[in-house]
Amino acid sequence: MFKVTFAFEDGSKVEAFANAGDNLLEVARGANVAIDAPCSGNGACGKCRVQLKGGEVDSKKTLHISDEEFEKGWRLACMSKISADVEVLVPDIASAYKSRMKVADLSSKEEIAIFEKAKSQIEETGIQFRNSLEVVELQMAEPSLDDTMPDVERLTRALRKFMNLNRIRVPYAVLRKLPDVLRASKFSVKCVVRVTPNDMFVYDIFDSKEDVIMGGLAVDIGTTTVSAVIINMATGEILAKSSSGNGQIRYGADVINRIIETTKPGGIKKLQDAVIKETINPMIHEMCRSIHLPENQIYRMCVASNTTMNHLFAGINADYLRTEPYIPAFFKTNSMFASDVGIEINKDAHIIMAPNIGSYVGGDITAGALVSMIWNRPEFSLFIDLGTNGELVFGNSDFMMSCACSAGPAFEGGDISCGMRATDGAIEACTIDKETMEPTYKIVGEPGTKPVGLCGSGIIDVISELYMTGIINPKGKFVREGKRIRHDHYGMGSYVIAFEEEAGSSKNVEITEVDIDNFIRAKGAIFSAIRTMLSSLDFDVSMIDDVYVAGGIGSGINMQNAVNIGMFPDVPLEKFHYIGNSSLTGAYLMLYSTEAEKKTYDLAANMTYMELSTVPTYMDEFVGACFIPHTDASMFPNVHQR
Amino acid sequence: MPFNQKPQKFNAKINAVTIGSGDKTVTIGGENSFPFYTFDAPTENTAKIGVEISDLGLDEFSEGVKAYYEGATTMAEIAQKAAAIEGADFVALILDGGDPNGANKSIEELIEVVKEVAGAIDCPLVVEGCKNVEKDAELLPKVAEVLQGRNALLLSEKEENYKAIGAAAGLAYNQIVGAESAVDINLAKQLNVVTTQLGVDAKKIVMNIGSAAAGYGYEYVVSTMDRIKGAALGQSDNMLQMPIITPVSAETWAVKEATASEADMPEWGSADERGIDMEVMTAAADLAAGSDAVILRHPESVKTISKLIKALA
Repeated sequence: MFKVTFAFEDGSKVEAFANAGDNLLEVARGANVAIDAPCSGNGACGKCRVQLKGGEVDSKKTLHISDEEFEKGWRLACMSKISADVEVLVPDIASAYKSRMKVADLSSKEEIAIFEKAKSQIEETGIQFRNSLEVVELQMAEPSLDDTMPDVERLTRALRKFMNLNRIRVPYAVLRKLPDVLRASKFSVKCVVRVTPNDMFVYDIFDSKEDVIMGGLAVDIGTTTVSAVIINMATGEILAKSSSGNGQIRYGADVINRIIETTKPGGIKKLQDAVIKETINPMIHEMCRSIHLPENQIYRMCVASNTTMNHLFAGINADYLRTEPYIPAFFKTNSMFASDVGIEINKDAHIIMAPNIGSYVGGDITAGALVSMIWNRPEFSLFIDLGTNGELVFGNSDFMMSCACSAGPAFEGGDISCGMRATDGAIEACTIDKETMEPTYKIVGEPGTKPVGLCGSGIIDVISELYMTGIINPKGKFVREGKRIRHDHYGMGSYVIAFEEEAGSSKNVEITEVDIDNFIRAKGAIFSAIRTMLSSLDFDVSMIDDVYVAGGIGSGINMQNAVNIGMFPDVPLEKFHYIGNSSLTGAYLMLYSTEAEKKTYDLAANMTYMELSTVPTYMDEFVGACFIPHTDASMFPNVHQR
Repeated sequence: MPFNQKPQKFNAKINAVTIGSGDKTVTIGGENSFPFYTFDAPTENTAKIGVEISDLGLDEFSEGVKAYYEGATTMAEIAQKAAAIEGADFVALILDGGDPNGANKSIEELIEVVKEVAGAIDCPLVVEGCKNVEKDAELLPKVAEVLQGRNALLLSEKEENYKAIGAAAGLAYNQIVGAESAVDINLAKQLNVVTTQLGVDAKKIVMNIGSAAAGYGYEYVVSTMDRIKGAALGQSDNMLQMPIITPVSAETWAVKEATASEADMPEWGSADERGIDMEVMTAAADLAAGSDAVILRHPESVKTISKLIKALA
């Protein structure tokens, strides 16, 4: 048995014990130390870097660690075996995915404006913003020796009289507090109830003097990030917001690696715990604390997530999604309650889910489709959700078609050596001078914040600018030389956006040919999916009237640059609209409005799902799209290098 | 009703690329019809055949091939005999020995071989590298340098090393650049785009779009060639209008149909025959799919394919 100490940059430490030969990353996982490992510990991504502070580990040297860095004690956790007592430093960047992330979670003014606009558009279509939760106030006669009705009978009679319903259910949790609340309130109470045409469920009971807030929880579970809001179910007001990395990341960056992880003994439970116990529950507690709302005053939850994520959330075997013929356990379910999955809100709270429509097109897309309003317009619109999986919906008020492609985590800053989420220090926009090759950039955060890395919109800008200024060729390889262009000893080129001295971290902020290559693949996946889906309908991109872009990539996305690199079709810029985190907005709408919930089920039922992997031309389209802007330049007539 | 022939006319054509210098040159490409569609348009330049020789000499070759070269001991003599094969249009020297995982000959040694072969023959010359991208990036520019004035075709520039080879062969020493990709129309075009962006004249590029022996995933080769010709002629895609050269022998002589000995496979018959059959079948299919030139090894194959071209063109 050896002692393993994980030290963090803030000075805190976590200790664990391990046997000789244990994998350091596994030890970290066991000790709940968050180390980002998008490749699930295959030594492929190089993100799980830790620095030896004392002792030693038996570690293989990899391409991700230079000789100099190895000398300084840097190791990949996944490639290190325990061989003695050891202390390692876990740098912030390795655990940043958990703590410091900020995604499109309605926290900026722009995002709130986008959200409000979506909400009012939905309302204009005649969808009523009403749900089945209500607070009813009751005054009951106090019992006496002449009136010896038990408390629960007294309550249900009063409710029945009040609402004229035949069935009223009072759960154990209410029963338990009932006698005391009734007497303390002198039989004047408020009840939180759910009313359906002929039955009523009593969630909670309060003294009528209390101000009762009915909380609701909407959660968007992304493969990489999770965001949530707590709302007032009576008014629709957003009371608190939160976002976090998906705790499942340490089991792999993509859904396939995670599903594989669930097939190991106890795996399903482990993945469910990672998203519920480690991610969503802490978010709930944090939000509830900030607004002084007891957790059990959240009476309904809505989840929008991709098919794999909602299976893993529900603790349902997702392995059949991964293997042919790719069958999910459910598209839609209404039989889940908070206590079933261990979500720490009112244990009787109903959990509703945005419905899936295919093995890789899930509730996040149906929720997003609701928000995009494609279904309410005669014009042909394309809805693109840029996430770890890119999902597309194309159609209008008559039909909708949908498909998904695997883009990888590049849009959220994963798979990119200096990639990061759009948080403080992220370069979110960039231009490069053609002559001097000097960059000018904009950084997320207070003025004066130093650059640490690149977020999705920054990567798009940098690659577009590198291409437009002729620094890289259409394959993403460096073809110009200068002080900012460097080559490592394998000949791999890179462009330094900020040198170590200017940067807020211990290394240059730079983008390498490998990064560019990863990004080109991601954008190629998106564009080829667009082309394949449109051509299956005998459409071409010129027939698109509007493009709605959603996803955590952020409102900072520069559409012109996204067109320049061939990620989006070359259509006039005014056709592009960024609609924020449409999955979360959709979850909010479903939570708050029963009609919106029904509408989403309708949309899902009417959407045609196209499985790209069965389309023979997809691979051809993909290879053609892995070029800047595209192998067929005639598809991008307006893109010209400067 | 009388039959009324409507030729399929294209407004585009494949670039005509001339290899070699002096009196003995060959021109490949130039057509504006599909291969052997003589009813649509007369064949501009018939398909050409190169004879493969290797810096490793004859050891790796089959008995039948060795028999033909009997008596030739130096590379110069081998090259001369190769050039003399009936139906041969050019000689293709493969510098197999440069492979770091094989004989790993030095660049100087290989350059000596190139000089010896070039000095011995005056027919057009194609030089292929060792297929290792790093070694080729050093080797082929040197080859381009020593062959100045020969207007030779250098195989192959690949995505990984196009800058070094494209710049040396296409820009500095004015040779023909052979652009090799892996049986994919988009990858073929992408390499042509980046090569021309280096400044290499599109008319000085010949494509090797990748090859396989018939029966070994060969459908992809046919489909890719077919679609490249379709895009080049039908859509006037000038980044796909380069003529195609296909090194056939290196593929076909490496498959079990050609390598299995008669002792192991008596029921398969003569090993040499089998090798020729594989070579002829594959080459014929390549030509029908769109290759403008093929590289073969066995004198019998060269003779047979040459007859086929004469008969159909």
